[in-house]
Amino acid sequence: MNSRFLSLLRKELIDAIRDKRSVMAGLYYAIFVPLLMAGMMMLLIDKLTSPEDLNITINNSSAAADLVAYLDNQGIRHSNDKATTKAIEITIGAAYAEQMHRAEPAEVILIADRSEENLQSAIRRTERTLQRYSAEMASLRLIARGINPKIMNSLNVKMQDQATTESKGGQLIAMIILFMLLSVFVSGMNLAIDTSAGERERNSLALLLSHPISLRQLVLSKVCAVSIFGMLGLFLVLLVSKFVYPFVPWQELGFNVDININFMMAAFIAGVFVAFLAASMQLFVSFMAKSFKEAQTYITFVMFVPMMLSYAVTFDLATDELRWAPVTGQLQALIDVMKGKEIPLLQLAVSCLSTLLISIALVLGMERLLKSEKIVFGL
Amino acid sequence: MTISQRPAFWGKIIALIAAVFSATALLAKPASEESDHCYIEGLSDRLRCGYIIVNENPNEPNGQKINIHYAVIPAVKNIYPNQAFLAIAGGPGQSAIDNAPLFNNTFARIRETRDILLIDQRGTGRSNILKCPEDKSVSPLLMNEGNFDTIAETNKCLAAIDGDVTQYTSTAALKDFEAVRISLGYDKLHIYGISYGTRMAQLYMREYAEAIATVTLDGVVPMQQSVLAIGLAIDRAVDLLISECENLSRCQQQFPSLRKALATTEVELMLSPVKAQIFHPMTGQPTEFLLTHDKFLSVIRLALYSPTTRVLLPYAIHQAGEKNYQAVLGLYSLTMEGIDIAMGMHASVVCSEDIHRLSTDLSTELETSYMGRTMFTELSKVCSVWPSTKVDETFSAPISNNIPTLLLSGELDPATPPDWAILAMADMKNATHLVAPHAAHGVAMQSCANRLVAQLVDEGSTAELDGDCLKEERPRGFYLNANGVDIFTPPIEPPLQTNSEEQL
Amino acid sequence: MISVSNLSKKIGDVQALDNLSFDAEDGQITGLLGPNGAGKTTCLRTIFGLLKADQGIATINNIDVAIKPVAAKQQLGLFPDPFGIYERLTPREYIRYFAELSGLSRAAALEATNRVIDDLQLADIADRRCKGFSQGQRMKTALAQAIVHQPKNIVLDEPTRGLDVMSTRILRDMLRKLKSEGHCILFSSHVMQEVASLCDRVVVMTEGRVVAIGSPQQLCEQTNQTSLEEAFITLIGTDEGIAA
Repeated sequence: MNSRFLSLLRKELIDAIRDKRSVMAGLYYAIFVPLLMAGMMMLLIDKLTSPEDLNITINNSSAAADLVAYLDNQGIRHSNDKATTKAIEITIGAAYAEQMHRAEPAEVILIADRSEENLQSAIRRTERTLQRYSAEMASLRLIARGINPKIMNSLNVKMQDQATTESKGGQLIAMIILFMLLSVFVSGMNLAIDTSAGERERNSLALLLSHPISLRQLVLSKVCAVSIFGMLGLFLVLLVSKFVYPFVPWQELGFNVDININFMMAAFIAGVFVAFLAASMQLFVSFMAKSFKEAQTYITFVMFVPMMLSYAVTFDLATDELRWAPVTGQLQALIDVMKGKEIPLLQLAVSCLSTLLISIALVLGMERLLKSEKIVFGL
Repeated sequence: MTISQRPAFWGKIIALIAAVFSATALLAKPASEESDHCYIEGLSDRLRCGYIIVNENPNEPNGQKINIHYAVIPAVKNIYPNQAFLAIAGGPGQSAIDNAPLFNNTFARIRETRDILLIDQRGTGRSNILKCPEDKSVSPLLMNEGNFDTIAETNKCLAAIDGDVTQYTSTAALKDFEAVRISLGYDKLHIYGISYGTRMAQLYMREYAEAIATVTLDGVVPMQQSVLAIGLAIDRAVDLLISECENLSRCQQQFPSLRKALATTEVELMLSPVKAQIFHPMTGQPTEFLLTHDKFLSVIRLALYSPTTRVLLPYAIHQAGEKNYQAVLGLYSLTMEGIDIAMGMHASVVCSEDIHRLSTDLSTELETSYMGRTMFTELSKVCSVWPSTKVDETFSAPISNNIPTLLLSGELDPATPPDWAILAMADMKNATHLVAPHAAHGVAMQSCANRLVAQLVDEGSTAELDGDCLKEERPRGFYLNANGVDIFTPPIEPPLQTNSEEQL
Repeated sequence: MISVSNLSKKIGDVQALDNLSFDAEDGQITGLLGPNGAGKTTCLRTIFGLLKADQGIATINNIDVAIKPVAAKQQLGLFPDPFGIYERLTPREYIRYFAELSGLSRAAALEATNRVIDDLQLADIADRRCKGFSQGQRMKTALAQAIVHQPKNIVLDEPTRGLDVMSTRILRDMLRKLKSEGHCILFSSHVMQEVASLCDRVVVMTEGRVVAIGSPQQLCEQTNQTSLEEAFITLIGTDEGIAA
């Protein structure tokens, strides 16, 4: 039993490694996804972080010389150069000086499109700077009247943020981990199709079944081969990530992504469960399909389910419920590891167990399928 | 750096650092051991806090132990785990840990890749603070500083302190700093010292040069100089203020006789304090305000520390000249609840390191300044009873080494004027001095200089530093009335246009 | 010995096997002759347990395939149609793989593989990947796979289809050699000449039923025809689906 299983597995792996398409699927994903993510993040950081000097348009600036000087010292200044000027416009009200003089609220109009993603941080920064100026002026007005400006802070709210620099990454970190975990699905996918629907299409499935092997050996060897490929993909993604992500200046977004050994180990352990599920799911579906092409279509649909659930996690939907579920449970556990939070062990255990049970059910299902003449001969 | 005028009111009258510093105070929850869950008021981030145990007196290994507390503001992305940015607070007597929010904001850029290390120097903050009991029997609004018995108050303070006050000098504290560095495993420190903290930084350069990557001295107190020379710096800053107003047409228009108003008010208050009916600046209750000469001058001095409060001074002085003291009261209210300075530690440092190092020339010069004179007299009284071991000549030697050093001065600084930095860097071989034209005390917090510090830390060299951004900064306007800097001048009505056609 | 008795099997609406019975003896080459769609392949697949008969049993050396599939298959070698070659493996790997699956240990499989490569003169292509092989090379590889573990019984499904003259001769020689060694050989074909020249016994079937069993000689005699082809046409009543 054991030696036959090993023979089957060995052949599956040799065959797979020689299949450029299967190997490339895993390799491309492993190498390019972290690179792409890193590239995107760098662009994002570029967009999200406001430059030290923020050029905007300031109209009627002569009416508020001190405000303009204050903005200037904070790096916000008027520019006529269209290329470097952000689409933010400040118009000093006509009556600004008079209103200031009389301690009436002085009119400043801020014109910008808040829905413009690229401008968000620049707009926030402009607003914040204006508010600070306003507060400073107000404080001085109180002092001039013999009042301590501290009285304006009627509450002293002491925020104690539980976040760590890792956990502040929020959705971005969830996304990064999601794409890592998906490598398990992507890397084994081609092999799964090749070794099931492909095997039948090349007429070797019947020959294989004519040999004195049990269906369990056959199915398990295929599931293991696909899982190993998935894990290889995961390993590569982790490795590439470990070297690529440190180049992203996360600190400019105020958090860090640290692919350390602990995380890699955790990802690997969680990955085993997910890989097993991914392999059995993909094989099951491919065996059901009539042809290679059909299998590709089905698998894409099947991939959708864990993908959508995982997206739900990254967007913080039903996260508590999904902790119990396969794939999303492991995903959340990994996010917690990355963020340095405590992992709810019961949920994780249930999630891993359910992952395993579903995989076993799929393996048993495949054994049943392969007893069917229709499946074996594609009748 | 600030020095006390009257010991009993140290907590009230003295401000070491600019008004910005006084905004933050109070203790974070005491760390019993190294923990990564401590918080400091004003900073929502989770910090790592801890302490090391040292001998109060290094020569008595079996004697009293004290805990030296530190806090680490963790790097966002710790690219340089073996380095830390050590920020040393001023005073002497301020807690560096309490100022965590300020350092965190100012040096956010540095924190992106390096830990910020804050140590409560022995005798301050959480590290066996040497506090003097405050006399709460008289409201700070009503106290008359002239009636104060400095020596009695000092003795009262000494009696309240449990510990050997001679062990709380800069040199003793320096060994603690180095021990903390070693215990936390940092190979190199980037040191930032402000005000009195620059003295600690310079001592560090002198004693442990190999542990230092870069140094920034902000508001420099040169080793050669006693801090008591501060008296002259205050007069210089007041003079700068008045000249500036005289040279601005609007200020001049609004307050045409500022210099006279200041002199007159001083003379009047010196003769007799003014008692005014006011509403309490905090509670709003009707009460009395005893404006003394000391209070008036201390208000001016403290307001000069920060450009933000400085802009209100011409208005406040002008109003005082008109016998209206609201603005003076407002400014006084900012500091009357006390400033977070551990007065016992302050005395330990000044009595051991400064009181005897005033050159004869300087003492003579100080005689001409009311503030300088008063400070010297009062501190001499304190030090006459305060046990101390005077530092010897070697203490005053200028620092001479190759460490990349950035010296920052604010042109308007009422405590450590630019000249002091020039004196401090006399023998330094790798130093750059930059002057911020519109900053006062604490240049990194008041200008773009924090970016220069980040650049220095990043590059490890002063070669690329230029002060262009400092020069580009624009001055802020003086408050011209109680409401703002902008003066409304009704537009001149255009002369009635006569219809030329009609004329024809 | 392969024995089939009363096999019936419906695939869809077609009665693919209809009460089919015959034996293939050791030391004999038995040909399963029938027109296209006669049920030859279905019969062979049933012998391998890939299809389940609705009725009747197939035994290999008296082991019922349906009851003890692994033990029964151990006694079988299959030369399938199509061959089911793994194009990314070399013949050596391919043959050894199936040898191992047939129950040989790794070492024994290696030894048997070397031997069969010699026997079939495969050495020159043994270490090239199968992708791009000619039909003859594929045939040899598939044949080697079928006999590597020296099964008592060898089943060939349309073995000469698509082969050139040389390959066909090699195959024939090999089958004769195996017969002389006492193996039981069963092959299906619709090629008259092949059957005539090789078989000791011929099982003629059509529409899933056995029409006649006997040596080619006996069949000619039985139908009063001089050639097997004529005899065959007489037996099944049409020449549809027969190749000369």
